[in-house]
Amino acid sequence: MTTRRNARGAGRTMMAVALAVTATAIFTGAAAAMAAPAQSSPWLGEDLPLPLTVKTPQDLAVKQVAERQYLIFNLLAGGKVAWDAGDFATAATKWEALLRLHPLDADIERVIRPLARDARGRAGGAAAAVPSGGGTAAPAAATPVAEARPVVVSAVVSGTVAGGGALGPGGAVVWLKRVGGETPRPTPAKGKVVSQRNKSFVPRVLAVPVGSKVDFRNEDTIFHNVFSLSKPNEFDTGLYKQGGSYTQVFKKAGPVQLLCNIHSTMIGYVYVVDSPYYAQADGGGAFMIRNVPPGEYEIEVWHEASSKEVHQKLTVGADGVRGVTLNVAGDKRAPAFVPDKSGKPRQAQVGY
Amino acid sequence: MVSAVARVGFQPHRLRLTAAAFVAALVVAGVASVARAQQPGGAGQTGGDGSDGDDGDDGNGYTPPAGLTPPLQLNGYIDVGFAKAQGDGTSFAAGDTRLPADYAVDPFAPAVNSRGDVASNDPGGRLTNGFLPRSVGIGGRPSFLINTVNFDLKYTAPGTPLLIFTRLQILPRFSSSGDQTRPYLEQAFGRFIPFDSQELAISVGKFDSVFGIEYLENQANLRTGITPSLMARYTTGTSTGAKVFYRMQLPALWSAVSLHVAATNSGNFVEALQSPDASLTGVPVLSGRLGYELNRPEVQVKLGASGLYGPRNDQNQRDAHQRVVGGDARIALHGLYVSGEYIRVKEEEGGPKTTGMGALPISSGFEARAFYAQAAYAIPVDLGPWHKLTLYGRYDWRHAWFAGFTPITVDRITAGLRIDVWDAVILKGELLVNRELAGAPTVANNVWTLSLVYSW
Repeated sequence: MTTRRNARGAGRTMMAVALAVTATAIFTGAAAAMAAPAQSSPWLGEDLPLPLTVKTPQDLAVKQVAERQYLIFNLLAGGKVAWDAGDFATAATKWEALLRLHPLDADIERVIRPLARDARGRAGGAAAAVPSGGGTAAPAAATPVAEARPVVVSAVVSGTVAGGGALGPGGAVVWLKRVGGETPRPTPAKGKVVSQRNKSFVPRVLAVPVGSKVDFRNEDTIFHNVFSLSKPNEFDTGLYKQGGSYTQVFKKAGPVQLLCNIHSTMIGYVYVVDSPYYAQADGGGAFMIRNVPPGEYEIEVWHEASSKEVHQKLTVGADGVRGVTLNVAGDKRAPAFVPDKSGKPRQAQVGY
Repeated sequence: MVSAVARVGFQPHRLRLTAAAFVAALVVAGVASVARAQQPGGAGQTGGDGSDGDDGDDGNGYTPPAGLTPPLQLNGYIDVGFAKAQGDGTSFAAGDTRLPADYAVDPFAPAVNSRGDVASNDPGGRLTNGFLPRSVGIGGRPSFLINTVNFDLKYTAPGTPLLIFTRLQILPRFSSSGDQTRPYLEQAFGRFIPFDSQELAISVGKFDSVFGIEYLENQANLRTGITPSLMARYTTGTSTGAKVFYRMQLPALWSAVSLHVAATNSGNFVEALQSPDASLTGVPVLSGRLGYELNRPEVQVKLGASGLYGPRNDQNQRDAHQRVVGGDARIALHGLYVSGEYIRVKEEEGGPKTTGMGALPISSGFEARAFYAQAAYAIPVDLGPWHKLTLYGRYDWRHAWFAGFTPITVDRITAGLRIDVWDAVILKGELLVNRELAGAPTVANNVWTLSLVYSW
């Protein structure tokens, strides 16, 4: 146990040192860049998802640690990219956000704190009062001023969905809606795909933000059709053969049941979310919503086996919220007879 | 199609698709499916795309691991009714004492539920032949009814193209005496889909009719209204045998053509007691439907032509044939659903008639022409659990006669209202106006009936 803890601690230190070394190396080579004309090279790392498999609680723990280090690195490097581009306000904002993380490795704090102060100064404002992130550096002495740009801290909301009957909680769609304010409109997602494979929809459940395009692709050797009677997102792809595809834009929030007019056993769902803060539970029910600004929210859950959506109040602080527990009912069974395009029930055992 | 079958020289042979044959067919299908599952890339290797069970918030969606969906599915319904028929619940005019009452009850018996059970049969016991509907035995008294308790068991063998389906029903009033409840195996078959790339399905066992379209909604939880049409007794009976369904898509036309053919022990007539499952003549009855469907998003059209040919299976003479031909059409357009069907029935005179009622001295020749047209309009509702209101109406007409008897022409006007609550409850109410147009005295035999169907 001790060995494991030591190993974990050593790993964390190594990671922090590596990050600090990386940052230092970046800065060493960046001296000229500071003087050179600003290069426009936006840091895209913050928008990239981490394709980590999460199937067990251990996987989730690994993912949480990785997410944290990922965030640290993004703030660290994103600040540097902004610095290089001469956008000192952004650099200061990112680094100040970084310094607010707790705990934060001392090496990182030692390197970044003076730079953050310098960036804020170059941006024309006084350095924000950034408490120590747990490192050994002294707290910043600067006093915040009214004109200082507000620092937006994005937190993580994570937890577990339970229930879902025989299907289990996997696929549950979890999202946050602001209470007492307007939820930002989400950016439509790109590259979303639902395949028809082995006479099934893959994935079976897909969550997308409002306005997203979903590509329906036929990977079987037979014709398929995709249609939905779910108002107000009803649509019909017509028939298309292997390799064919059809793109549908989902403009309204809510569940969209996917059916095939040829194969009555095929059923799937797209859930259209009207919030940028959403996630889907994995097979074990674990979910994680990133980049959530602190505030009051209602957390909502939809699951194909639940007749009602779950609503629950949630307060998100600067450090986010971990261990949210949500329960979905398993009271809604798969339909015995799925409808055809006209809404008439089809008996799967008859014919095809 | 019937004559075409005759021209190609179908050689009758003994075909007794008994339970043993059914089991044997399932074994064959099972062996084939196991072999198929062992092929690389076969259906047994279905699974995720790397996103199975692990999608979280990475935006690629979620697909449950193989095996999470239970292969065994149990569904069913309970149909509870309330009905009131005019008069004494039969279609006999007061003082009509004609003998023999060979065809008395059939043409205008007042159906009161989704099974087509009538309020009452002739109380005088004069019936000597013909078709005897089941009776709920309530006369003209308003009464609550238990119509059907239905269990559907569906088993999809994991990784195989094999489906096993059984429909077991608990039927009150199974016999004509009106009060004997019995379990009834309405359907039991295995369905095998041999090719991934073709819409071809082979079924063996006891299954639904393939004739026409009314069998598709011959259960209370599937039927738009309550009562079956006047012609349902000629087209919706289940039988034992083998059937093949094939469909070919025509994507450029948003269309498909299909062929559904069956060889069964008996035809699709519905009797007071089902016709015997066993073949009484040793010669199968052939039936089939050729269909066309247009599946545009805004309108769906389905057309079909059906035929049935073979020996009557209510007697044992092979040369006493039954022939049925028909056409059907369905159109769905913006919540409006219109359907219709036409048939011609001809049954040649045969030997002693055998039904669950026992042996009768002869099986009379019989002919009928009938059609119905039905329209239903569904209105979406968003009032709590109430989500749909459907108004429907149907017109039925039938002209039929037994050899040697006066043809009788009747019609029926049905108007009804249906309310869908949650996904599990249907409340339906309808009025049936039964009219004797020719060949029989006018009888007060209209019906009010309600049905509450709870599905699980």
